Amino acid sequence: MYLVADISVEICASKSCKLCTQYCPEANTILYSEEMGRDQGFKYGTAYVAVDRCKGCAQCVWVCDNMAKNNAIKMIMIDQLPKAALTDNITYGEKSTTAVLASPVVG
Amino acid sequence: MSLDYVKFSNGFEKFMPKEYRDMVEHGPFGKKVSVSQMGSFKEILEEHPMCAGCAMTLFIRLAMIAFPNPEDTITVGTAGCGRLAISQAAIPFVYGNYGDQNGVASGLSRGLRLRFGDKPKDVVVMAGDGGTADIGFQQVLHSWFRKERFTTIMLDNEVYGNTGGQESGMTNRGAVLKMAPLGKKFEKMDMLQMAKVAGCAYVATVVPNNPRRVESVIKKAVLIAREVGSTYIQAYTSCNIEYAIPTDKVMEDAKTVENDRYQFSEYVSEEAKQYLTERYGYKEFLPKPAAPAAAIPSKA
Ligand SMILES: Cc1ncc(C[n+]2csc(CCOP(=O)(O)OP(=O)(O)O)c2C)c(N)n1
Ligand code: SF4
Ligand code: SF4
Ligand code: SF4
Repeated sequence: MYLVADISVEICASKSCKLCTQYCPEANTILYSEEMGRDQGFKYGTAYVAVDRCKGCAQCVWVCDNMAKNNAIKMIMIDQLPKAALTDNITYGEKSTTAVLASPVVG
Repeated sequence: MSLDYVKFSNGFEKFMPKEYRDMVEHGPFGKKVSVSQMGSFKEILEEHPMCAGCAMTLFIRLAMIAFPNPEDTITVGTAGCGRLAISQAAIPFVYGNYGDQNGVASGLSRGLRLRFGDKPKDVVVMAGDGGTADIGFQQVLHSWFRKERFTTIMLDNEVYGNTGGQESGMTNRGAVLKMAPLGKKFEKMDMLQMAKVAGCAYVATVVPNNPRRVESVIKKAVLIAREVGSTYIQAYTSCNIEYAIPTDKVMEDAKTVENDRYQFSEYVSEEAKQYLTERYGYKEFLPKPAAPAAAIPSKA
Protein backbone atom coordinates (compact mmCIF):
# COMPACT_ATOMS: atom_id res chain seq x y z
CA MET A 1 0.00 0.00 0.00
CA TYR A 2 1.07 3.57 -0.39
CA LEU A 3 0.21 7.02 0.90
CA VAL A 4 -1.76 9.67 -0.94
CA ALA A 5 -2.88 13.13 0.08
CA ASP A 6 -6.39 13.58 1.44
CA ILE A 7 -7.95 17.01 1.93
CA SER A 8 -10.59 17.53 4.60
CA VAL A 9 -13.46 19.37 2.97
CA GLU A 10 -14.56 20.68 6.35
CA ILE A 11 -11.22 22.29 7.12
CA CYS A 12 -10.30 23.45 3.63
CA ALA A 13 -13.68 25.00 2.83
CA SER A 14 -13.27 27.54 5.62
CA LYS A 15 -10.26 29.01 3.79
CA SER A 16 -9.85 27.49 0.34
CA CYS A 17 -6.75 29.48 -0.53
CA LYS A 18 -5.71 27.20 -3.45
CA LEU A 19 -2.06 27.32 -2.38
CA CYS A 20 -1.69 23.53 -2.37
CA THR A 21 -2.86 23.48 -6.00
CA GLN A 22 -0.09 25.88 -6.95
CA TYR A 23 2.64 23.93 -5.16
CA CYS A 24 1.84 20.31 -6.00
CA PRO A 25 4.57 19.22 -8.42
CA GLU A 26 2.14 17.12 -10.44
CA ALA A 27 -0.21 18.65 -13.00
CA ASN A 28 -4.00 18.17 -12.78
CA THR A 29 -3.65 16.50 -9.39
CA ILE A 30 -4.94 18.93 -6.76
CA LEU A 31 -8.05 20.41 -8.30
CA TYR A 32 -10.51 22.93 -7.08
CA SER A 33 -14.29 22.74 -6.84
CA GLU A 34 -16.60 25.67 -6.16
CA GLU A 35 -19.42 23.27 -5.31
CA MET A 36 -17.93 20.69 -2.97
CA GLY A 37 -17.93 22.37 0.42
CA ARG A 38 -20.54 24.97 -0.44
CA ASP A 39 -23.04 22.15 -0.98
CA GLN A 40 -22.35 21.08 2.61
CA GLY A 41 -23.01 24.58 3.93
CA PHE A 42 -19.39 25.73 4.21
CA LYS A 43 -18.25 29.20 3.23
CA TYR A 44 -16.14 28.28 0.19
CA GLY A 45 -15.50 25.44 -2.21
CA THR A 46 -12.65 23.04 -1.61
CA ALA A 47 -9.45 21.69 -3.05
CA TYR A 48 -9.38 17.92 -3.61
CA VAL A 49 -6.91 15.33 -4.86
CA ALA A 50 -7.14 13.14 -7.96
CA VAL A 51 -5.53 10.26 -6.09
CA ASP A 52 -4.60 8.31 -9.21
CA ARG A 53 -2.14 11.10 -10.06
CA CYS A 54 -0.81 11.76 -6.56
CA LYS A 55 2.79 10.58 -6.06
CA GLY A 56 2.61 10.88 -2.28
CA CYS A 57 5.33 13.49 -1.78
CA ALA A 58 3.43 15.38 0.97
CA GLN A 59 4.55 18.78 -0.27
CA CYS A 60 0.92 19.88 -0.14
CA VAL A 61 0.80 18.93 3.54
CA TRP A 62 3.75 21.21 4.23
CA VAL A 63 2.18 24.02 2.22
CA CYS A 64 -1.21 23.78 3.93
CA ASP A 65 0.35 23.48 7.42
CA ASN A 66 3.05 26.13 7.05
CA MET A 67 1.94 28.57 4.38
CA ALA A 68 -1.86 28.39 4.55
CA LYS A 69 -1.69 27.54 8.28
CA ASN A 70 -4.82 25.48 7.87
CA ASN A 71 -3.75 21.84 8.49
CA ALA A 72 -6.36 20.48 6.10
CA ILE A 73 -4.26 17.80 4.38
CA LYS A 74 -3.18 14.43 5.71
CA MET A 75 -1.35 11.54 4.07
CA ILE A 76 -3.48 8.39 4.13
CA MET A 77 -3.01 4.83 2.89
CA ILE A 78 -4.92 4.63 -0.34
CA ASP A 79 -6.96 1.63 0.80
CA GLN A 80 -8.06 3.55 3.89
CA LEU A 81 -9.85 6.15 1.78
CA PRO A 82 -13.43 5.01 1.39
CA LYS A 83 -13.99 7.44 -1.46
CA ALA A 84 -11.81 9.74 -3.46
CA ALA A 85 -11.60 11.56 -6.77
CA LEU A 86 -10.12 9.76 -9.77
CA THR A 87 -9.25 11.43 -13.07
CA ASP A 88 -11.93 9.53 -14.98
CA ASN A 89 -14.67 10.95 -12.72
CA ILE A 90 -13.64 14.59 -12.88
CA THR A 91 -15.54 17.11 -14.99
CA TYR A 92 -14.00 20.42 -15.97
CA GLY A 93 -16.31 23.43 -16.07
CA GLU A 94 -15.85 27.09 -16.90
CA LYS A 95 -14.21 28.19 -13.66
CA SER A 96 -13.97 25.08 -11.53
CA THR A 97 -14.18 21.30 -11.59
CA THR A 98 -16.45 18.72 -10.02
CA ALA A 99 -15.82 15.10 -9.16
CA VAL A 100 -17.95 12.08 -8.45
CA LEU A 101 -16.15 10.32 -5.61
CA ALA A 102 -15.57 6.61 -5.81
CA SER A 103 -13.58 3.95 -4.03
CA PRO A 104 -9.97 4.32 -5.23
CA VAL A 105 -9.08 0.68 -4.57
CA VAL A 106 -11.19 -2.05 -6.09
CA GLY A 107 -10.98 -4.82 -3.53
CA MET B 1 1.60 24.94 -34.53
CA SER B 2 -1.58 26.84 -34.20
CA LEU B 3 -4.97 26.45 -32.60
CA ASP B 4 -5.75 23.94 -35.35
CA TYR B 5 -3.63 21.24 -33.82
CA VAL B 6 -5.71 21.20 -30.66
CA LYS B 7 -8.99 20.41 -32.35
CA PHE B 8 -10.66 17.06 -32.89
CA SER B 9 -10.47 15.67 -36.38
CA ASN B 10 -13.98 15.20 -37.77
CA GLY B 11 -15.61 12.06 -36.44
CA PHE B 12 -12.79 11.23 -34.00
CA GLU B 13 -14.00 13.05 -30.92
CA LYS B 14 -15.72 10.05 -29.37
CA PHE B 15 -12.64 7.88 -29.71
CA MET B 16 -10.29 10.28 -27.99
CA PRO B 17 -9.19 9.62 -24.39
CA LYS B 18 -10.77 11.72 -21.65
CA GLU B 19 -7.51 13.62 -21.01
CA TYR B 20 -7.42 14.70 -24.65
CA ARG B 21 -11.04 15.79 -24.69
CA ASP B 22 -10.51 17.77 -21.48
CA MET B 23 -7.49 19.42 -23.07
CA VAL B 24 -9.36 20.50 -26.19
CA GLU B 25 -12.39 21.74 -24.28
CA HIS B 26 -10.88 23.06 -21.06
CA GLY B 27 -7.18 23.50 -21.77
CA PRO B 28 -5.31 26.80 -21.92
CA PHE B 29 -5.11 27.02 -25.71
CA GLY B 30 -6.25 30.32 -27.14
CA LYS B 31 -7.12 31.60 -23.65
CA LYS B 32 -5.24 33.53 -21.04
CA VAL B 33 -4.72 31.33 -18.00
CA SER B 34 -2.75 32.17 -14.90
CA VAL B 35 -1.32 30.56 -11.81
CA SER B 36 -4.24 31.86 -9.75
CA GLN B 37 -6.63 29.70 -11.82
CA MET B 38 -4.63 26.51 -11.27
CA GLY B 39 -6.80 23.54 -10.34
CA SER B 40 -9.68 24.87 -12.42
CA PHE B 41 -8.52 24.24 -15.97
CA LYS B 42 -6.93 21.27 -17.70
CA GLU B 43 -3.16 21.67 -17.79
CA ILE B 44 -1.15 20.71 -20.84
CA LEU B 45 1.41 18.76 -18.84
CA GLU B 46 0.46 15.10 -18.50
CA GLU B 47 1.64 12.32 -16.22
CA HIS B 48 5.37 11.63 -16.42
CA PRO B 49 8.03 9.59 -14.64
CA MET B 50 9.93 12.31 -12.75
CA CYS B 51 10.45 11.58 -9.04
CA ALA B 52 7.80 12.32 -6.43
CA GLY B 53 8.20 15.77 -4.94
CA CYS B 54 10.78 16.97 -7.47
CA ALA B 55 10.97 20.77 -7.52
CA MET B 56 12.01 20.64 -11.18
CA THR B 57 8.65 19.06 -11.93
CA LEU B 58 6.83 21.89 -10.19
CA PHE B 59 8.88 24.45 -12.09
CA ILE B 60 8.09 22.80 -15.45
CA ARG B 61 4.42 22.69 -14.53
CA LEU B 62 4.42 26.41 -13.73
CA ALA B 63 6.43 27.23 -16.87
CA MET B 64 3.86 25.57 -19.10
CA ILE B 65 1.13 27.66 -17.52
CA ALA B 66 3.19 30.81 -17.99
CA PHE B 67 3.86 30.41 -21.73
CA PRO B 68 2.01 33.34 -23.30
CA ASN B 69 0.84 31.32 -26.34
CA PRO B 70 1.21 27.58 -25.71
CA GLU B 71 -0.32 26.77 -29.11
CA ASP B 72 2.52 28.68 -30.80
CA THR B 73 5.35 27.37 -28.66
CA ILE B 74 7.98 24.68 -29.22
CA THR B 75 10.13 23.43 -26.35
CA VAL B 76 13.66 22.15 -26.88
CA GLY B 77 15.39 19.91 -24.39
CA THR B 78 18.26 17.53 -23.96
CA ALA B 79 19.39 14.60 -21.83
CA GLY B 80 18.62 15.10 -18.14
CA CYS B 81 15.62 14.71 -15.87
CA GLY B 82 13.54 17.62 -17.17
CA ARG B 83 12.91 16.10 -20.59
CA LEU B 84 11.01 13.25 -18.94
CA ALA B 85 8.23 15.75 -18.14
CA ILE B 86 8.71 18.41 -20.82
CA SER B 87 8.13 15.74 -23.47
CA GLN B 88 4.80 14.72 -21.87
CA ALA B 89 2.91 17.90 -22.68
CA ALA B 90 0.66 19.04 -25.50
CA ILE B 91 3.41 21.25 -26.88
CA PRO B 92 5.80 20.04 -29.59
CA PHE B 93 9.09 19.04 -28.01
CA VAL B 94 12.43 18.73 -29.82
CA TYR B 95 15.04 16.50 -28.25
CA GLY B 96 18.56 16.50 -29.60
CA ASN B 97 21.88 15.09 -28.48
CA TYR B 98 23.14 16.00 -25.06
CA GLY B 99 24.20 19.63 -25.05
CA ASP B 100 23.14 20.67 -28.55
CA GLN B 101 19.85 22.27 -27.44
CA ASN B 102 20.85 25.89 -28.07
CA GLY B 103 22.23 25.03 -31.51
CA VAL B 104 19.00 23.22 -32.38
CA ALA B 105 16.92 26.09 -31.01
CA SER B 106 18.91 28.64 -33.06
CA GLY B 107 18.08 26.86 -36.29
CA LEU B 108 14.51 26.24 -35.25
CA SER B 109 13.83 29.82 -34.27
CA ARG B 110 15.33 31.13 -37.52
CA GLY B 111 13.39 28.60 -39.59
CA LEU B 112 10.11 29.53 -37.89
CA ARG B 113 10.72 33.20 -38.66
CA LEU B 114 11.34 32.41 -42.31
CA ARG B 115 8.22 30.27 -42.51
CA PHE B 116 5.80 32.36 -40.43
CA GLY B 117 7.16 35.87 -40.80
CA ASP B 118 5.90 38.22 -38.15
CA LYS B 119 3.55 35.76 -36.49
CA PRO B 120 5.25 34.96 -33.18
CA LYS B 121 6.32 31.36 -32.68
CA ASP B 122 8.09 30.95 -29.37
CA VAL B 123 11.05 28.65 -28.84
CA VAL B 124 11.90 27.79 -25.24
CA VAL B 125 14.90 25.69 -24.25
CA MET B 126 14.74 23.93 -20.89
CA ALA B 127 17.81 21.95 -19.91
CA GLY B 128 19.66 20.94 -16.76
CA ASP B 129 22.68 22.69 -15.30
CA GLY B 130 24.95 20.01 -16.76
CA GLY B 131 23.34 20.36 -20.17
CA THR B 132 23.53 24.15 -20.07
CA ALA B 133 26.72 25.09 -18.24
CA ASP B 134 28.93 22.06 -19.00
CA ILE B 135 28.14 19.93 -22.02
CA GLY B 136 26.13 22.57 -23.92
CA PHE B 137 28.20 25.52 -22.72
CA GLN B 138 29.76 26.42 -26.05
CA GLN B 139 26.48 26.32 -27.95
CA VAL B 140 24.68 28.23 -25.20
CA LEU B 141 27.24 31.04 -25.11
CA HIS B 142 27.45 31.31 -28.88
CA SER B 143 23.69 31.48 -29.26
CA TRP B 144 23.72 34.39 -26.80
CA PHE B 145 26.59 36.17 -28.53
CA ARG B 146 24.66 35.80 -31.80
CA LYS B 147 21.57 37.26 -30.04
CA GLU B 148 19.41 34.35 -31.15
CA ARG B 149 15.83 35.16 -30.30
CA PHE B 150 14.68 32.38 -28.00
CA THR B 151 14.55 31.70 -24.26
CA THR B 152 17.05 29.51 -22.43
CA ILE B 153 15.96 28.15 -19.05
CA MET B 154 18.47 26.37 -16.86
CA LEU B 155 16.84 23.82 -14.53
CA ASP B 156 19.57 24.12 -11.92
CA ASN B 157 19.52 21.24 -9.48
CA GLU B 158 23.25 21.72 -8.91
CA VAL B 159 24.03 18.12 -9.92
CA TYR B 160 23.77 15.61 -12.75
CA GLY B 161 20.55 14.15 -11.37
CA ASN B 162 19.57 11.81 -14.17
CA THR B 163 22.83 9.85 -14.01
CA GLY B 164 23.15 9.49 -10.27
CA GLY B 165 24.99 12.43 -8.77
CA GLN B 166 28.08 13.71 -10.59
CA GLU B 167 29.15 17.30 -9.90
CA SER B 168 28.43 19.95 -12.50
CA GLY B 169 29.87 23.42 -13.01
CA MET B 170 26.83 24.70 -11.11
CA THR B 171 27.42 22.50 -8.04
CA ASN B 172 28.57 24.50 -5.03
CA ARG B 173 32.15 24.33 -3.85
CA GLY B 174 32.56 21.66 -1.20
CA ALA B 175 29.39 19.75 -2.05
CA VAL B 176 29.85 16.00 -1.57
CA LEU B 177 27.86 13.90 -4.00
CA LYS B 178 27.63 10.17 -4.64
CA MET B 179 29.98 10.45 -7.58
CA ALA B 180 31.99 13.39 -6.25
CA PRO B 181 32.97 11.85 -2.92
CA LEU B 182 35.88 14.21 -2.27
CA GLY B 183 33.69 17.29 -2.54
CA LYS B 184 33.70 19.80 -5.35
CA LYS B 185 36.91 21.79 -5.53
CA PHE B 186 35.73 24.79 -7.56
CA GLU B 187 33.18 27.56 -7.22
CA LYS B 188 29.70 27.47 -8.75
CA MET B 189 29.86 29.01 -12.22
CA ASP B 190 28.46 32.51 -12.57
CA MET B 191 26.24 31.92 -15.59
CA LEU B 192 24.19 35.03 -14.84
CA GLN B 193 27.19 37.29 -15.33
CA MET B 194 28.16 35.38 -18.46
CA ALA B 195 24.66 35.83 -19.87
CA LYS B 196 24.93 39.58 -19.34
CA VAL B 197 28.41 39.78 -20.86
CA ALA B 198 27.20 37.77 -23.85
CA GLY B 199 24.45 40.34 -24.40
CA CYS B 200 21.24 38.66 -23.22
CA ALA B 201 18.36 41.14 -23.13
CA TYR B 202 16.81 39.54 -20.05
CA VAL B 203 18.44 37.57 -17.25
CA ALA B 204 16.59 36.39 -14.14
CA THR B 205 16.93 33.97 -11.26
CA VAL B 206 13.91 32.34 -9.73
CA VAL B 207 12.92 29.62 -7.26
CA PRO B 208 9.67 27.67 -7.64
CA ASN B 209 8.44 28.49 -4.13
CA ASN B 210 7.01 31.67 -5.62
CA PRO B 211 4.68 30.48 -8.42
CA ARG B 212 3.52 33.96 -9.41
CA ARG B 213 7.07 35.14 -9.81
CA VAL B 214 7.93 32.11 -11.95
CA GLU B 215 4.96 32.98 -14.12
CA SER B 216 5.92 36.63 -14.46
CA VAL B 217 9.58 35.93 -15.23
CA ILE B 218 8.79 33.34 -17.89
CA LYS B 219 6.23 35.55 -19.61
CA LYS B 220 8.68 38.43 -19.84
CA ALA B 221 11.51 36.22 -21.07
CA VAL B 222 9.39 34.65 -23.82
CA LEU B 223 7.94 37.97 -24.98
CA ILE B 224 11.34 39.69 -25.09
CA ALA B 225 12.83 36.81 -27.07
CA ARG B 226 10.22 37.32 -29.79
CA GLU B 227 11.96 40.44 -31.03
CA VAL B 228 14.67 41.86 -28.84
CA GLY B 229 17.19 39.06 -28.30
CA SER B 230 18.27 36.11 -26.16
CA THR B 231 16.75 35.70 -22.73
CA TYR B 232 18.01 33.54 -19.86
CA ILE B 233 16.30 32.25 -16.74
CA GLN B 234 18.20 30.32 -14.11
CA ALA B 235 15.84 28.41 -11.85
CA TYR B 236 16.80 26.60 -8.67
CA THR B 237 15.02 23.28 -8.99
CA SER B 238 16.43 21.02 -6.28
CA CYS B 239 17.05 17.32 -6.76
CA ASN B 240 15.56 15.75 -3.65
CA ILE B 241 17.13 12.39 -4.52
CA GLU B 242 20.78 13.43 -4.90
CA TYR B 243 20.65 15.98 -2.08
CA ALA B 244 18.54 13.74 0.17
CA ILE B 245 15.87 16.36 0.81
CA PRO B 246 12.77 14.76 2.34
CA THR B 247 9.99 15.39 -0.18
CA ASP B 248 7.82 17.23 2.31
CA LYS B 249 10.73 19.63 2.97
CA VAL B 250 11.43 20.54 -0.66
CA MET B 251 9.73 23.93 -0.40
CA GLU B 252 11.44 24.64 2.92
CA ASP B 253 14.76 23.93 1.20
CA ALA B 254 13.78 26.19 -1.69
CA LYS B 255 13.14 29.02 0.77
CA THR B 256 16.48 28.46 2.51
CA VAL B 257 18.38 28.38 -0.77
CA GLU B 258 16.50 31.43 -2.02
CA ASN B 259 17.68 33.36 1.02
CA ASP B 260 21.19 32.01 0.69
CA ARG B 261 22.38 31.95 -2.93
CA TYR B 262 19.26 32.25 -5.08
CA GLN B 263 17.77 35.63 -4.25
CA PHE B 264 15.46 36.91 -6.94
CA SER B 265 17.35 38.99 -9.47
CA GLU B 266 16.24 40.41 -12.76
CA TYR B 267 18.18 42.29 -15.42
CA VAL B 268 16.17 43.84 -18.27
CA SER B 269 17.99 45.73 -21.03
CA GLU B 270 16.76 49.23 -21.82
CA GLU B 271 15.57 48.07 -25.23
CA ALA B 272 13.64 45.21 -23.65
CA LYS B 273 12.03 47.52 -21.10
CA GLN B 274 10.85 49.83 -23.85
CA TYR B 275 9.58 46.90 -25.91
CA LEU B 276 7.58 45.37 -23.04
CA THR B 277 6.11 48.76 -22.20
CA GLU B 278 5.15 49.78 -25.71
CA ARG B 279 4.18 46.43 -27.16
CA TYR B 280 2.69 44.60 -24.21
CA GLY B 281 1.55 47.41 -21.93
CA TYR B 282 3.91 46.63 -19.04
CA LYS B 283 3.74 49.42 -16.46
CA GLU B 284 6.63 48.45 -14.20
CA PHE B 285 9.32 50.08 -16.34
CA LEU B 286 7.63 53.45 -16.68
CA PRO B 287 9.47 56.24 -14.89
CA LYS B 288 8.25 56.41 -11.34
CA PRO B 289 6.26 59.59 -10.67
CA ALA B 290 8.26 61.98 -8.52
CA ALA B 291 7.37 61.63 -4.86
CA PRO B 292 4.79 64.27 -3.93
CA ALA B 293 6.36 67.18 -2.10
CA ALA B 294 5.84 66.87 1.63
CA ALA B 295 2.61 68.52 2.60
CA ILE B 296 3.24 71.96 3.97
CA PRO B 297 1.50 72.22 7.31
CA SER B 298 -1.06 74.94 7.04
CA LYS B 299 -0.81 77.69 9.52
CA ALA B 300 -3.65 77.66 11.94
C1 LIG C 1 26.55 12.72 -25.17
C2 LIG C 1 25.97 12.16 -23.92
N1 LIG C 1 26.77 11.96 -22.85
C3 LIG C 1 26.25 11.50 -21.70
C4 LIG C 1 24.91 11.22 -21.60
C5 LIG C 1 24.36 10.65 -20.30
N2 LIG C 1 23.59 11.62 -19.55
C6 LIG C 1 22.23 11.61 -19.60
S1 LIG C 1 21.54 12.74 -18.57
C7 LIG C 1 23.07 13.22 -18.05
C8 LIG C 1 23.23 14.26 -16.96
C9 LIG C 1 22.18 15.27 -16.89
O1 LIG C 1 22.52 16.26 -15.95
P1 LIG C 1 21.91 17.69 -16.05
O2 LIG C 1 22.07 18.23 -17.41
O3 LIG C 1 22.44 18.53 -14.94
O4 LIG C 1 20.36 17.44 -15.85
P2 LIG C 1 19.59 16.79 -14.60
O5 LIG C 1 19.43 15.34 -14.91
O6 LIG C 1 20.35 17.05 -13.37
O7 LIG C 1 18.28 17.49 -14.62
C10 LIG C 1 24.09 12.51 -18.67
C11 LIG C 1 25.52 12.68 -18.39
C12 LIG C 1 24.11 11.42 -22.74
N3 LIG C 1 22.79 11.19 -22.72
N4 LIG C 1 24.65 11.89 -23.88
S1 SF4 D 1 -3.65 24.86 1.13
FE1 SF4 D 1 -5.08 23.97 2.60
S2 SF4 D 1 -6.65 25.53 2.93
FE2 SF4 D 1 -5.54 26.12 1.07
S3 SF4 D 1 -6.76 25.18 -0.57
FE3 SF4 D 1 -5.19 23.69 -0.03
S4 SF4 D 1 -6.15 22.35 1.49
FE4 SF4 D 1 -7.42 24.18 1.32
S1 SF4 E 1 1.25 14.41 -1.98
FE1 SF4 E 1 2.50 15.46 -3.56
S2 SF4 E 1 1.71 14.66 -5.51
FE2 SF4 E 1 0.18 14.17 -3.95
S3 SF4 E 1 -1.25 15.86 -4.01
FE3 SF4 E 1 0.24 16.36 -2.41
S4 SF4 E 1 1.79 17.59 -3.44
FE4 SF4 E 1 0.60 16.57 -5.04
S1 SF4 F 1 16.62 12.52 -9.90
FE1 SF4 F 1 16.41 14.50 -8.86
S2 SF4 F 1 16.07 16.04 -10.48
FE2 SF4 F 1 15.73 14.00 -11.37
S3 SF4 F 1 13.49 13.68 -11.22
FE3 SF4 F 1 14.45 12.77 -9.39
S4 SF4 F 1 14.42 14.36 -7.82
FE4 SF4 F 1 14.06 15.36 -9.80
